[in-house]
Parts: sequence; structure tokens; C-alpha cells
Amino acid sequence: MGENNEILLSVKGLSTHFYTEQGKAKAVQQVGFSIKKGKTFALVGESGCGKSVTALSIMKLVPYPPGKIVSGEIIFRGKDLRSLSGKQMRQIRGDRIAMIFQEPMTSLNPVFTVGNQIIEVLKLHQKKTSAQARADAIEVLDKVGIADPAQRVDEYPHQMSGGMRQRVMIAMAVSCEPDLLIADEPTTALDVTIQAQILDLMDGLQKQNNMSIFLITHDLGVVAERADDVAVMYASGIVETADAKTLFAEPLHPYTQGLLKSLPSLGFKGQRLNTIAGSVANPLDFPKGCKFHPRCPLGITDRRCQSKEPELKEVSDGHFVACFKAAGYEE
Amino acid sequence: MTDVVKDKKIVAVKGTSLWKDGLRRLKHRKFAMVCLVIILAYFAVTAFVYVAEFFNWQIRAVMWTEEVGPSYQPPDVKYVFGTDIFGQSVLRKTIYGAKTSITVALCASLISILIGVPLGAIAGYFRGVVDEIIVWIYSTLSSIPYILLILAFAVVLRDRTLFGFRLTGMVTVYLAIGLTSWVGICRLIRGEIIKHKDREYVLAARSYGSSNARIIFKQLLPNVFHLVIIDFSLRFVSFIHAEVILSFLGLGEADKPSWGAMINDARIELARGVWWQMAAATVAIFFISLALNIFGDALRDSLDPKLRMQ
Repeated sequence: MGENNEILLSVKGLSTHFYTEQGKAKAVQQVGFSIKKGKTFALVGESGCGKSVTALSIMKLVPYPPGKIVSGEIIFRGKDLRSLSGKQMRQIRGDRIAMIFQEPMTSLNPVFTVGNQIIEVLKLHQKKTSAQARADAIEVLDKVGIADPAQRVDEYPHQMSGGMRQRVMIAMAVSCEPDLLIADEPTTALDVTIQAQILDLMDGLQKQNNMSIFLITHDLGVVAERADDVAVMYASGIVETADAKTLFAEPLHPYTQGLLKSLPSLGFKGQRLNTIAGSVANPLDFPKGCKFHPRCPLGITDRRCQSKEPELKEVSDGHFVACFKAAGYEE
Repeated sequence: MTDVVKDKKIVAVKGTSLWKDGLRRLKHRKFAMVCLVIILAYFAVTAFVYVAEFFNWQIRAVMWTEEVGPSYQPPDVKYVFGTDIFGQSVLRKTIYGAKTSITVALCASLISILIGVPLGAIAGYFRGVVDEIIVWIYSTLSSIPYILLILAFAVVLRDRTLFGFRLTGMVTVYLAIGLTSWVGICRLIRGEIIKHKDREYVLAARSYGSSNARIIFKQLLPNVFHLVIIDFSLRFVSFIHAEVILSFLGLGEADKPSWGAMINDARIELARGVWWQMAAATVAIFFISLALNIFGDALRDSLDPKLRMQ
């Protein structure tokens, strides 16, 4: 494919808040990253750190009320998605940006055949006769590796296994050959052997269509294997971002280091796994200063940690980190 | 790949598996199937009366105006249900009355579904202010005693001209019933939509670019539509009863027989020991009510996933 650094989507200063009865939950705060054309960008983080809300914000699908994008730019192919009307946005969803979800068991409508659901997507975005759309649906089912697609097209979701349903979800998502596929923990609900198959499938489709993938996951193993660029998210903000190789070779943020240390590996027998002490910060009440400081293994020797939130800064080529103590971090 | 596709004929959209499954279950319920036959027989009689009237067929069964014998002839072999004061055959009046009752129940059901289902879906889907307004409207409607409300509507609508269309007997009746009885189905659909709208498939539909209207009508309603059918079959009976009550109170069809009008006639007749007009109408109502109730219950048992037993 060659070195292609054309940027497809860039997000700048995105903040999404939820106005709940308990107060304002800042689910996403000042998040910025960019996704290159044809590459996989992974967003890693614990449950509840704001990964999914970031994805929904890009699609402008944050449920309102209570959620609302309060600031930022989402520039997709040169256009700010935030300035688009509901109708323009609907034309982009499913056609240029598609999404797959965590739960393949519930993401398909139980009363329609999988074929009809794919046809629905095709008909929304392309002017096609029913016969053409049906032929396309069968073709795309074949593409996502469903055996006997001409028969399977008339089956209902309940007749399929979890892995097959996720394939159908992917088929629906890629049926219009989108530029960007947002995959929100696509393999979390599947067992390990199927996980690899689904990820391979996504890789294959990416190469075929030169599609970018925005992969949301908490599985660092998956990230190491599949991602070109990685961002680590903690408590609503990105704490470190770099290309995958750099990030795994020299993680700079103590949170990233902690995550990598907590991975089990071969030859590690008889020892306890490393954990990161403490629990995830509450988005209704973030700690002052660096949000990670109450859990930081480096201790709070620096006074700035408690009083000031570190900004994301470039420490070496393409490697950004938000930590006062990271090597090379200058305020 | 495309060759394979070309070979295969495009199959028309098939019924949902929920339906197939439900109907399969239903077929195993013998008693429900007997009831279905009874219901279909009533519908067939209605259709027959319409066709006969339309083509002006001179068939005895539908010529209820004909004087067949002396007045107040008790039932015997010649006059199966006896005759009324004008010597008209009570049997023929009963047959003709089926047309009135079934037409009214059908039209009223359609009106109440057309009002109740969209309103319930909109209220449940959008919530917020829209929901509050709709809930307020149906709560207000349902707080008024039902018969009183129907009567008020029937009296107000009677002999009005609406969109250049004069509202006469039967039209008034089914408008009055339809406009007052959408509350139940509206409430049911609203609740179901609230339950369904946060499911992931709705989010998925939104993620591939469906609009709100498309999500309501193409994703959500098909998921709850079996409830509309069940509700329809159970409510049909109450609409037949409502028609009877309105006719009995003199607000129905004035110059054509209906079961309600026959019972109304019987008020005076009973004092003179003429029971057959009353009996004929009651028997007619009894069988369709019983059949619809049993069939409706069976339909619910086989279609409602919550009640479904293996």
C-alpha cells in the first residue's frame, strides 16, 4: 500500500458532557486525534473512560438529552461534521462512516431476515432496485465469509451464532464501502477463536477497500497486532498517543506503563499479575490536577500533579504524552 | 458470484419468523381453529350480504323487508326464528344485522388502530413533551365513563356534514366508537416502544443512517405489531357490543336491522311474550363473542413471546 499519510478524520478538542441528575458528567474532555486513510487507529482504555462516547460523538449519535457535544471539531474529509444538518449526517452514516457494535446478539433486528437488513442499508444510500440490492446483499455476505450466502440471506438473526451475526453486522457496515469503520469493541462478546477470525476479516476488508478503522478496545493484545496508531484514554482524556510500535516499545505515561505491565505473558508463571492500584476516576467528580495522580505509581512528588492538568505534548516525533514526569516532557 | 445470484429467483419478502412460529402453534389448538371457522363464517355472511346488495340479487336470505307471514309468528319449521311485528323474518334480520355489527366493529377497530398505534409509537419513541401531551390526552379521554363518551360523540356527530360527507347512522356509530377507544392500544404500543427503543438494533439502525420516522415504522413497529393484532381480535368483541348498546339506545342505524336494534324492539315485545327476536340477536352475539375471545386468547398465547410456552 505504501506510505500514505493522508488524514481522513481529525478530531480536535472534542468535549462531550452528560447532564445527569447527579450533575454534569464530563464523559469526553478535549480529545483530539487523527485517523489516517487506510490505517487502523486504536483507542484503548478501561471501561467507562469515554471510548464509546467518543465514537458516538463522531457519529453524532450521543443520546440527547442527556448527552451533548459541547465543543470541538470533527473534520471528516475536509468537512466539520458538527456543522452538518441531521439529514446530511444521515447520508454520511452508514455510507461514509459505518459502525459495528459490541453485542452482535442484540444489534440485529430480530424480526427481519439478515438479507432484508442489509438491503435496508443499501436502499438508504444507493438507488437500487430490490433485485440488485438483494444480489449485492448476497455478495457482501459472501465477502464477509458467510458460507452459502444465497441461503443464509433469508435467515433470521436467531438462526445464527454470535460470530456469524457479527459478520452480518460487518456486512451491513461495509455494504456501502465506507471510508471509516468504527468498531466499538467488536470482539468483546465473542470467544477467542472467533475474535481472531473477525479481526482478520476486518483486516482483509480494510485492504480491499482502503478503509480506515477506528478500533475501540480494552484488549492490548489486539492493539499490538492490528493497530497502526494508538491512543490511550484515561478518565475522559487522551493521556498518550503514538504509533503502535513506539507506544509498545517505550510507553511514557505511567498509566500506559501500568496497562502494559498488567498483561499476562508466557514465562510469567507463578507470579502475580501487576495491577494498577485504585479504581477509575468518577466522571462526575474528577480529581484536581492530573486525573491519574491518585493512582500514579510514581508517587506525587511533583506539586504540579496535584494542581495542574498536564496537556498532551509532543515528546518525540509523533509521540504525544500528558505527564509532567514523562521523559522529554516540557511545559 | 453474480451468476449464482442470477440463477436464484428473487423471493418476495416472507413473513417474520415470529409469525410463522406463532401460526404453527396456533394450528395445534383445535378449539381455536374451530373459533376461527366461526369468525370466518360471520365474515363470509357479511361479505355475502354486501355482494348481494351491490348486485341487487333477489335472494331470500337478504330480503329482510319482505313480509313472510303474519306478525309475531313464533319459531317453527317454516319460520326458523319467527317473525316480528311486520311479519318480517327474524332470521333474515339477524343475517342482515351481522353486516351492520361486523362493519361497525371493523371500521371502529381500524380507526382506533390508525389513531392509537402512531400516537403510542410517537409518544414512546420521542418521550419528553410530546409524550406528556399524548399521555395527557388519553388519560383525559379514559377518565370519562366510556358509554357516556361514546354517546356524546354519537350525538354530536350525528347528521353532521364532515368534509362534504354527511354522517348518517352507521358512520356515526363507528366514528364514535373508533374515536373514543384508541386509548388502550395507544397505551400498549407506547409501553412496548419505550421498552424496545433503547435496544442495540435501534442504535445500529441509527448508525447506518435511518431517520426517526424510518426507525419507528420500519424497525420498531414490526417488532410490536403482533400486539396490535392480538389487541384487535380481543377488542373486536367490545366494539360489537358497543354497536349493540348504541343501537339499543336509539343512536345507531335507524331504518335497517342490527342486533342492537332487534334487542331494542324486544323491549316492548318481551312484555307480550315475544322472545324470539331477542333470542336470535343474543345467540348471534353470543357465538361471535365467544369465538373471538377464545381465538384472541389463543392468538395471544401463541404470538406473545412473554406468554409463550414451549
